[in-house]
Amino acid sequence: MNACADDLRIGICSWQLSQFLAWQDIKQRYRRSTLGPVWLTLSFGIQMLTMGVLSSFLFGSSLERSLPYVCAGMLLWFLITQMINDGANLFVSTARYITQIKCPLTLFLMQAIWRNLIVAAHNATIYLVVAALLVVIPGPGILLLPLGLVLVIICLAWVALVSAVVSARYRDVPVMIQNILNILFWFTPLMYFPEQLGSKRFLADFNPFTHMIALVRAPLLGGAPSLNDWLAVLALTVFGWAGTFLFFARFRARVVYWL
Amino acid sequence: MLSIVAKDIHVEFPIYDHHMRSLKYTLGLGQIAKGLNRFTAGKLNVGGQIGTGERGRVVIKALDGVSFEIQEGDRIGLLGHNGSGKTTLLRALAGIYEPVSGTIHASGRVVPLFDLQLGMDLDATGIENIWMRGKLLGLSTQQIKDALDDIAEFTDLGEYLYMPIRAYSMGMMVRLAFAISTAITPEILVLDEMIAAGDAAFFARAAARLKSFLSRTGVLVIASHSMPMLREWCNKGMLLERGKLIAYGPLDDVVDRYERAAAP
Repeated sequence: MNACADDLRIGICSWQLSQFLAWQDIKQRYRRSTLGPVWLTLSFGIQMLTMGVLSSFLFGSSLERSLPYVCAGMLLWFLITQMINDGANLFVSTARYITQIKCPLTLFLMQAIWRNLIVAAHNATIYLVVAALLVVIPGPGILLLPLGLVLVIICLAWVALVSAVVSARYRDVPVMIQNILNILFWFTPLMYFPEQLGSKRFLADFNPFTHMIALVRAPLLGGAPSLNDWLAVLALTVFGWAGTFLFFARFRARVVYWL
Repeated sequence: MLSIVAKDIHVEFPIYDHHMRSLKYTLGLGQIAKGLNRFTAGKLNVGGQIGTGERGRVVIKALDGVSFEIQEGDRIGLLGHNGSGKTTLLRALAGIYEPVSGTIHASGRVVPLFDLQLGMDLDATGIENIWMRGKLLGLSTQQIKDALDDIAEFTDLGEYLYMPIRAYSMGMMVRLAFAISTAITPEILVLDEMIAAGDAAFFARAAARLKSFLSRTGVLVIASHSMPMLREWCNKGMLLERGKLIAYGPLDDVVDRYERAAAP
């Protein structure tokens, strides 16, 4: 228990190291490319244009409405899925470090969080451009956006940590997770609006990702997330972390033996 | 006061092989492994003992009830055949493997140095790699800045420090990795035969730096097969065999025992 709390504490406290490592990851990925991390922004932009146009065409809403909606939603969707997928590969991909230096396992979780925030920041510029061009004005709800984002990240952190531990032991899990996320994409209101599901709306309502995305997307688009969204994500975060703490306390020391 | 106290530590590696795991017991391989173990026990000195863990899975007993105390000033040479548990013990000392039973307690910061090039990126410049390695070794930003000149002077890389290390020769790369890793002042240093890699000419140059590095540390534990090296650096010896600590004391006694055991 104590060792587990220490791991979390030291992992979080070494945020400078994890941030440094995250930047190294980004730099490494785009070394010797002329555009560098601008590629992140560019490829997200192209994807959003395609999806926004397709969504307005398929689901019959105006481009002015669907483009910012799709763009804000996908910004979050990429953050969520990349966090969880990175989580599943977290300890396997850093095995060299884990078996050679003594460092808290949560250091690598923090590294993944930083890395994905950096990527999301690059993608966010596309949303800003879209919002500026289409004059999407956020309301007072925007003040709660940082809180919503932080809550979503904390919630994703436990999902990633649990996937990381389980995947270190059972190597089928990362592939399984990837497949589940691919399917969940269709059940999450990203390309369409939740009300367009009609009588099948419960499909979106029981999907935790719907609420996570709403916490950030709604304020961006000038609205505010519902109380339901807040409660769902808050409950998921609190109960999730409670369970994760016990789980991590039990298996933390075993991870290195599985690598 | 620096010290490490280990009490009856056991480290076991579960063997997971996804083809074997389900079939193993149906085919009775666990029993065969046990039989083989009994058969070879007196003859082979290689590898940890193969046994069954608490839930009946096959495990390698890498460390089997090891106890010792290390005090400040100790310079310990770790001896043993391949697979006798040297590396596992070093990693347990560093806190990387937490023993399945028994306790190990270190007062003082343990710095393991196993792979000197861990974290180095071929496409990054020498300077960037110094930062990366420095951070991984736990140096602060200020400490790395202070060490830069010293590293530049020792490695003699000049303009090369601003080039991607992909352009370096193998020797230059070793020199850089060595210079960064020896720029620290560890309280308890744990080494795994790092000195064996690299060319002789470089080590003549590096000897002075290595000497000052090793004498700065409060406690040194080093695993090696090289007797001259152990005689130069160590005052105590520790001999492992099949995961058990069979001798711990003055270096010469332990080396004697090791060489006697190795003789046919």
